[in-house]
Amino acid sequence: MDLTYSDEDRAFRARARAWLRDNVPAERRPVSGPAAAVFDRAWQRKLFEHGWAGVAWPKDYGGLGLSSLQQIIWFEELARAKAPHHNNTSYVALMHAGPTLIARGTEAQKAYYLPRILSGEDLWCQGFSEPNAGSDLASLKTRGVIDGDHIVVTGSKTWTTDAQYADVQELLIRTDPASERHKGLTWLICDMRTPGIDIRPIRTMLQDDHVNTVFYDEVRIPLANVVGEVGRGWSTALTTLSFERGLGFIGDQLDLYEKVGRVIELAQRVKLEDGRLAIEDDAIAQRLASLKADTMAIRAMTLAHITESDRSGEPGPKGSLMKLLVTATHKALSEVVADILGWDFLEFDGDRAAYPWTFDYLWSWVFTIAGGTSEIQREITADRLLELPRAR
Amino acid sequence: MFLAADEDEAEIVASAADFLADAMPIQRLHAEPPRPDMDPDLRQKVAELGWFGLSAPETLGGSGLSAVEHVLFFREVGRNCGPVDMLAQSLGLLTAADDAKLAARILSGETGVALAVEQGERLRILGDPSASVALAARPDGAQLLDISGLAAETRPPLDPTTSMRLVETARATRLAGVSGGDVWRMGQLGTAAMLVGLAETALDLIVEYAKIRETFGRKIGSYQAVRHPAADMALRAEAARSQLWYAAAATKEGKADAQAHTDAAKHLANIAGVTNADWNIQLHGGIGITEEHDAHLLLKHALLLVKLFGSKRPLLASLLHARLED
Ligand SMILES: Cc1cc2nc3c(=O)[nH]c(=O)nc-3n(C[C@H](O)[C@H](O)[C@H](O)COP(=O)(O)OP(=O)(O)OC[C@H]3O[C@@H](n4cnc5c(N)ncnc54)[C@H](O)[C@@H]3O)c2cc1C
Repeated sequence: MDLTYSDEDRAFRARARAWLRDNVPAERRPVSGPAAAVFDRAWQRKLFEHGWAGVAWPKDYGGLGLSSLQQIIWFEELARAKAPHHNNTSYVALMHAGPTLIARGTEAQKAYYLPRILSGEDLWCQGFSEPNAGSDLASLKTRGVIDGDHIVVTGSKTWTTDAQYADVQELLIRTDPASERHKGLTWLICDMRTPGIDIRPIRTMLQDDHVNTVFYDEVRIPLANVVGEVGRGWSTALTTLSFERGLGFIGDQLDLYEKVGRVIELAQRVKLEDGRLAIEDDAIAQRLASLKADTMAIRAMTLAHITESDRSGEPGPKGSLMKLLVTATHKALSEVVADILGWDFLEFDGDRAAYPWTFDYLWSWVFTIAGGTSEIQREITADRLLELPRAR
Repeated sequence: MFLAADEDEAEIVASAADFLADAMPIQRLHAEPPRPDMDPDLRQKVAELGWFGLSAPETLGGSGLSAVEHVLFFREVGRNCGPVDMLAQSLGLLTAADDAKLAARILSGETGVALAVEQGERLRILGDPSASVALAARPDGAQLLDISGLAAETRPPLDPTTSMRLVETARATRLAGVSGGDVWRMGQLGTAAMLVGLAETALDLIVEYAKIRETFGRKIGSYQAVRHPAADMALRAEAARSQLWYAAAATKEGKADAQAHTDAAKHLANIAGVTNADWNIQLHGGIGITEEHDAHLLLKHALLLVKLFGSKRPLLASLLHARLED
């Protein structure tokens, strides 16, 4: 065991910190809508132009080819610098579409798409869930029929985050009509401008429209866009999910560590209804200190996880534990903030910048549901880590 | 940066596990009569293999290893519900730094060291009745006290691993001592490690049982009301273990925030130990509350370890404003 960063790691951190200090945009990211996507693309473009995009991605496709530890250092510095949140419209492209292509894509797919992701040219969305296939993803029904050198897709996807801004989609469909469950699926790269795609936003309790239902009416997608093999899309989808559940939350993990500190500062400024500073309330102080310990553990777990996956060469089943802890800690932190802010917490008009803490609280259900619910993460842990007899 | 046991460290874990399974298995607590504490025989055996000096400097006759090996060893001790005087003996050696003769007697196991907890006018002594010395540690220093021949009031211990008695503080005379927080820190790391090992054992026991016990024609491990608490037990153990590794490595490397990381590690280990032991009993059903089962031993031992070297209140108070490095 050692916590010592190599000279290169330290130099990398120092460079990242200095660059971010001078380059984090002064203006706030628009909360949502098309302007947010424009902002995210511009930020990603800037990272790309200054040599900060794709820290651990291969050099051949525009990445920096650095270690997974340096990738973590980069995310830590982003969080520290309060840089534009990584959980934005570039999230799917950077955190799981790109990594899926790196692991499973053809040479042509990698050469074309990866540089476009890194430069902010292409935003991606994820078309996995359907109205009747969420936790039970393998029951999905959107179908694809092979017609010459194309697959013709008909059906619908839902909960597709940021579909209205995305250029490209990870699309998981059933190409063998006689198949059931995990068999007969295909993972496709879908150009969101292809005729036959209709996107309808869903209004959420956060007063935004960031998720959508997407309808496909005979959408023609080239066979060359299959990632993995036709009929074996489940295997490619598992790769995608392993990235989403493995390091997909890394930005939030490290952000949380900073965020507890900000809530402690908040508690030192804000008075409770009885006139005392919030930090002087024993119960609040204890909950904050306990959450601080949790975020320290999250960081230690992240480093332990990287050590283990670097050793074994695969993400392993512990990503689910991480997601459980991160999302529960996020929620508990929001609940303490609610007790600190009192009535102010009950004011909200959808503006994340103006009401960050209430927004965060509402977002906590996004965390515990999207990317596999907490119940499903416990199921995965029971199956894969504890190897208990199956429930299903 | 490497936050897992490397090859040398894994070897220490393996030999500790072998030794403890043989010398101090948890079954000893079911024997008739039960065998609490580290009696002089066991103390001798542990001493012969050099375990007491694992993290002590070579000048004291120790192996000169670090906080990392210390937690790896005591996690294995925790898996077997090892008595707290094993930790007291190791810490006693560090505390005897200025008294070479005493240090040698502790290292060889000739002198037994118990743990002393201050309770007003009295000291609660934890450990084998034959111990003539007691270690009293605080965050700012530690001392060894002579308790031989003192009138002691024996108290019945909830936790059968460790005997308890009360003596009058004023009568115990100081033999040696060190200032500074090193001994306290190693005590925190040692108890946190024991709690982590215990939390892992609780998880192992229920996972094993859930694979064989059937109700309504199904294995209980296929019920979500069993699977989900078990997954949460895995999470508690994982979080506490990861933070323990971090704290031990930070201590070894002399990091400025090592104390804060150790406080967090002890806090998380306190929660993991007690909560996992609690769920392990519940998910076993009736068999879980029987004397012959290990489940209650884990719980009772966890309750003792939680009280030592920082319980909830002071740990959280010092964590709240602690500053952390990169
Ligand atoms: C904000 C948001 C953004 C999202 N973004 C995307 C996206 O971009 N792309 C995409 O493809 N999907 C996305 N999703 C979909 C998300 O993955 C699903 O909502 C999630 O997997 C749950 O599926 P469901 O909504 O159908 O709920 P259901 O599967 O119907 O679950 C209902 C309840 O039952 C529980 N449950 C279900 N099965 C089990 C079981 N076996 N054991 C125990 N409990 C169970 C669940 O935990 C939940 O509490 C998003 C969801 C949200 C909320």
